[in-house]
Amino acid sequence: MTTILIVDDEYLIADILSFALEDEGYLTVTAGSGQKALGILERERPQLIITDYMMPGMNGIELAEAVRASEVTGQIPMVLMSGAQSHLGIARPDLFSKVFDKPFEIGAVLQAVRTLLGT
Amino acid sequence: MRLVAHLTRNIHDANTVAEEANLNQLKRLQSGIEGLDELLMGGFVAGSSYIIQGRPGSGKTILANQIGFNHIRNGGRVLFATLLAEPHERLFQFLSTMSFFDKDRVGEQIQFVSAFDTMENDGLDEVVKLLRREIVRQKSTVLILDGLLNARSKAESSINTKRFISELQGHAAFAGCTVFFLTSSQLDDGSPEHTMVDGVLEMGEELVGNRSVRRIKARKTRGSGAIPGAHECEITENGLVVYPRLESTITHSALRDSAEFSVIPSGIDTLDPLIGGGLVESSVTLLLGPSGTGKTTFGLNFLARSTPDEPGLLFGFYESPQRLRVKAAALGLDFEALERAGALHIAWKSPTAELIDKLALDLLRIVEQQGIKRVFLDSLGGMARASADQSRILDLFSALMSELRARGVTVVSSWEIRGLIGGKIDAPAPDMSSIVDNLVLIRFGQSTAGLTRQLSILKIRDNPYDPALLDVLIGEQGLTVKKAAFHALDDSGNATA
Repeated sequence: MTTILIVDDEYLIADILSFALEDEGYLTVTAGSGQKALGILERERPQLIITDYMMPGMNGIELAEAVRASEVTGQIPMVLMSGAQSHLGIARPDLFSKVFDKPFEIGAVLQAVRTLLGT
Repeated sequence: MRLVAHLTRNIHDANTVAEEANLNQLKRLQSGIEGLDELLMGGFVAGSSYIIQGRPGSGKTILANQIGFNHIRNGGRVLFATLLAEPHERLFQFLSTMSFFDKDRVGEQIQFVSAFDTMENDGLDEVVKLLRREIVRQKSTVLILDGLLNARSKAESSINTKRFISELQGHAAFAGCTVFFLTSSQLDDGSPEHTMVDGVLEMGEELVGNRSVRRIKARKTRGSGAIPGAHECEITENGLVVYPRLESTITHSALRDSAEFSVIPSGIDTLDPLIGGGLVESSVTLLLGPSGTGKTTFGLNFLARSTPDEPGLLFGFYESPQRLRVKAAALGLDFEALERAGALHIAWKSPTAELIDKLALDLLRIVEQQGIKRVFLDSLGGMARASADQSRILDLFSALMSELRARGVTVVSSWEIRGLIGGKIDAPAPDMSSIVDNLVLIRFGQSTAGLTRQLSILKIRDNPYDPALLDVLIGEQGLTVKKAAFHALDDSGNATA
């Protein structure tokens, strides 16, 4: 079973994505902040991380840097979803395999997830 | 230049007095919202906390974001946190229709974060911790917290709500951060939230007849004065614009009145000898009369004496500029030439679509920008119709006319009265002398051949006048008067010889 971690302080967005991915047959875990996401990474071993940019405590880029810095999680592909800061994500291909503008189209996100996971 | 600020200099003068008296002046955080800083006598007090309350749709989110984006333009940093479930994307979508919204600053100087999840799962204490850390991390100097009502529902008791607010305030004040709590609940003066914060702004929208009027009220302002009462406001593509009640901002115009008066031509040469040579400069003349008696014609003659050095303004609610030009031409007056020469300006306003304070400010703005010396206001009654609250029009007109007098403007204004024919004349408003210096009545009289127009001078301030009844003749030479052959109709409808 493929697990996807969704990180967004706005739980509605996290929920919408999570339901859509579950309908596609993925397992999902959600986290409301970067710190919580790092805690979850210790327990779960997701195959993909989808994160928001603007969040309390730690933004999406800081989270991605922390994920990359760890030997255990360093290879997990990451997707950034952002309203105004998508250019910051596009400038960091070392961190993100794909960047989506908010509001995103759910079909396009699902397609990207399938491509990234090869499922 | 922002006229409201300019007009409220008397308030700032009062602040100067306070400074001279060594009274401590607190540092201000300007909202950047036209009229609001004037209402708050200089802006919010920096480092304080405020509640902005109003029902959904009252404009508090727009107000808060305007404060936020203005603050970052002044070099500050803003944290916008929500306790509501709605995602910020929808907020961005509708804010993107407003000129103050700057998408490129979002996520940089202004951060939008959600604390809903934290509140639901971890409680209010964790929300305080999250926001405290965020204020430090983002170096925020303004915190806006949306959805305070949700914190209240989450708190087990009012003590917990109080603690939540006081802890947040404490952390924010320590970091030099000004806090705005937004709530859609109608909190009253005794609520724990109100007792804790330094200021409360209430926003509302109410129906007056079928018209919807937005109002804003400063209910509590610690550490600062505020212009009391409710003030009308509107939401434009530039965001919220507040119009502090004119009569509460312009209160000392009379002190700037000139001590010397000269007489200027009224535009009706045959009338001038009967009123002491003409109209006293910077006086206000009211033309009373039913529809069709020639009030507008009188006003057009008055404006025809405008010059590029002393330009005139027609501020009207009824006839369009095109029709006025045609009407003037029929009287032998070339308004288009006057307009081309910069001697005349025509401003047409809708009496039903505008706020009365906005109309008054627009009038004063044109007077200031164009150096206007003659104003024909057609009509005062049309302008009064724009007021959602009829009880204040007398105060507003008094303030407006005082300000025009102080600026050396001579005003002629019309006011239509009921009763087309007959001797009974009701004053359109009580206590007219606070508004006008001169009162002229034009009504219908009856001669053997039919109806005539008749003019009576009811009052001329500071000048002797001839009380004789005058016949009004309107023709290609404009409007002329001569002593009447017949008297006006009495109540029975009979002409008296």
